[in-house]
Amino acid sequence: MSMLRPITAVLYREVLKLGRQRTRLIASMVRPLIWLLVIGSGFGTVLGGAGELSYQQFLAPGVLGMTMLFAAMLSALTMVYDKESGVMRMLVIAPFAHFWIVIVKTLSAALTALLQALMLLVLLALLGYLHPGSVRIGVLLTALMLVPFACAGIGMLAAAFTKTLDNFAAIMNFVIFPVFFLSGSLYPITQLPAWLKAIAMVNPYTYGVDLLKHALIAHAGGRFAPEFSTMLDVFVLAGFTITAVTIACVRFSGETAFDSVIRVLTGKR
Amino acid sequence: MSSGATPAIEAQALVRRYGDTLAVDGLSLSIGEGEFFGLLGPNGSGKTTTIHMLATLVRASGGSARVAGFDVASAPVKVRGQIGLVFQESALDRTLSVAENLRFAGMLYGLSRMEIERRGKALLDLFGIADRFDASVGSLSGGQRRALDIIRGVIHEPRVLFLDEPTIGLDIPIRRRIWRFIDGLRQRNRMTVLLTTHYLEEADACDRVAFIRKGKMVSQGTPRALVEGMGRHIVEFESERIDDLLTRVRPVLGNGLKEGPTALFRYPHEDTIALAKLQDELGPLASAMRIRRPNLNDVFLWVHSGTQVLGAPG
Repeated sequence: MSMLRPITAVLYREVLKLGRQRTRLIASMVRPLIWLLVIGSGFGTVLGGAGELSYQQFLAPGVLGMTMLFAAMLSALTMVYDKESGVMRMLVIAPFAHFWIVIVKTLSAALTALLQALMLLVLLALLGYLHPGSVRIGVLLTALMLVPFACAGIGMLAAAFTKTLDNFAAIMNFVIFPVFFLSGSLYPITQLPAWLKAIAMVNPYTYGVDLLKHALIAHAGGRFAPEFSTMLDVFVLAGFTITAVTIACVRFSGETAFDSVIRVLTGKR
Repeated sequence: MSSGATPAIEAQALVRRYGDTLAVDGLSLSIGEGEFFGLLGPNGSGKTTTIHMLATLVRASGGSARVAGFDVASAPVKVRGQIGLVFQESALDRTLSVAENLRFAGMLYGLSRMEIERRGKALLDLFGIADRFDASVGSLSGGQRRALDIIRGVIHEPRVLFLDEPTIGLDIPIRRRIWRFIDGLRQRNRMTVLLTTHYLEEADACDRVAFIRKGKMVSQGTPRALVEGMGRHIVEFESERIDDLLTRVRPVLGNGLKEGPTALFRYPHEDTIALAKLQDELGPLASAMRIRRPNLNDVFLWVHSGTQVLGAPG
């Protein structure tokens, strides 16, 4: 039970920081709404609907996923901030194995994502983007358990291979945006050219968006329908999360990588 | 020092290699429970690497070490539970308050909020800043931040405390205050303290010090014994032609050290009449001559220069 300590400590700090950065929280609610209202209406006029589902309603699972992706990524990348600012020193000298730092940070990132997803769900319901009859609660709960962890996993992978925050723009451009755009959030991937479709198929986040579609717009027919089975989605998300966190753990506590972390922390050479 | 009881820190032939360079080269140490030990040496001599190996943050390439009774290689988590480490650079979160930093640090060791508050306030009081408990870290002065970083390192009452250059970059009054604070901590908790510092006068308070150079032990002992080992006096000459002076004086005082326009020599005898005669002979070549007692700085200078090159005085 000794692992409860670092978990509560890291969560305590995360909650403090989140409470202090209210603008970050507000922005995390505004960003998906902008997508939904602005991009949704704009593209909607071009793409049209499918059956009874408008393009904006098709976007709802995508923006819900986006909120979790951004929240989890930003939270996971505080690993890099902690390395740079030195707070990581408190964690590496504390009495638990170093891979726990990765696990605890993953947990904290996933919970941050879940919190923001729940807030957005309330907003979406209030704005009428959720069809009460078509929401599958069981699938939604499963998605809310798996997607935040998968997003945190992507974030931890990025954090494990990033030395300084200077690379943040690169991560935005080469990780977050491709992961988001090539995921079926904005358009069904079956209609993409073969090579883009191939990338979307290996993107684990695609399966998170698909699971959210199963949860929110399963009734949609035609081209807006979910593209994979829920079983496949669950399997890929769980498998990816375990793999990503394991790689991040190994990378973080591995001899050479770890020494380089320590050297960054201690300013030695 | 450590006869009988298990030493708090025991290192056997520790080696750390970075690529082709040997940062630490077969270092052995034995530091007793409650001892105040100073690890001294020039920049890049391997002090920090040694501390990090003992604190289980860097794996040794060779040799072994036990800290607080646990092996650093096989039981690193147990070791970390017994030690505190104050890094050269701050480990504080500047976006949080003093109290929040201490809570975060204390929670990592499983302390309750009440316990953290009680200990934290007592420690802040020891440094005289109990009123800053709820202040933000960003609003603290440099010295107060350093003190908070030390408090952060001892909030869990470690048996062994590592202090890596705790007073670097601070001015003298604040350095003294930090030292009184560390003294107070040692008296309260009977901690073993391993210190590295550049300020040699600070190491005078150590029970024992060790000088290392290029990752190797050069000499160790009580500060007094090391200083006494330098001989009775240090003779300093100032000259505009320092190399000529070194050559002229060498037959009388042996090899000296050059420090800018100053030459330093060790003089083993109590009687300094011979030196007055020497000054006469040198005439205008020596613009000034000073005779003084040696101190740890001199030990450091001789270690730094490498005694091999200079040879021992007669």
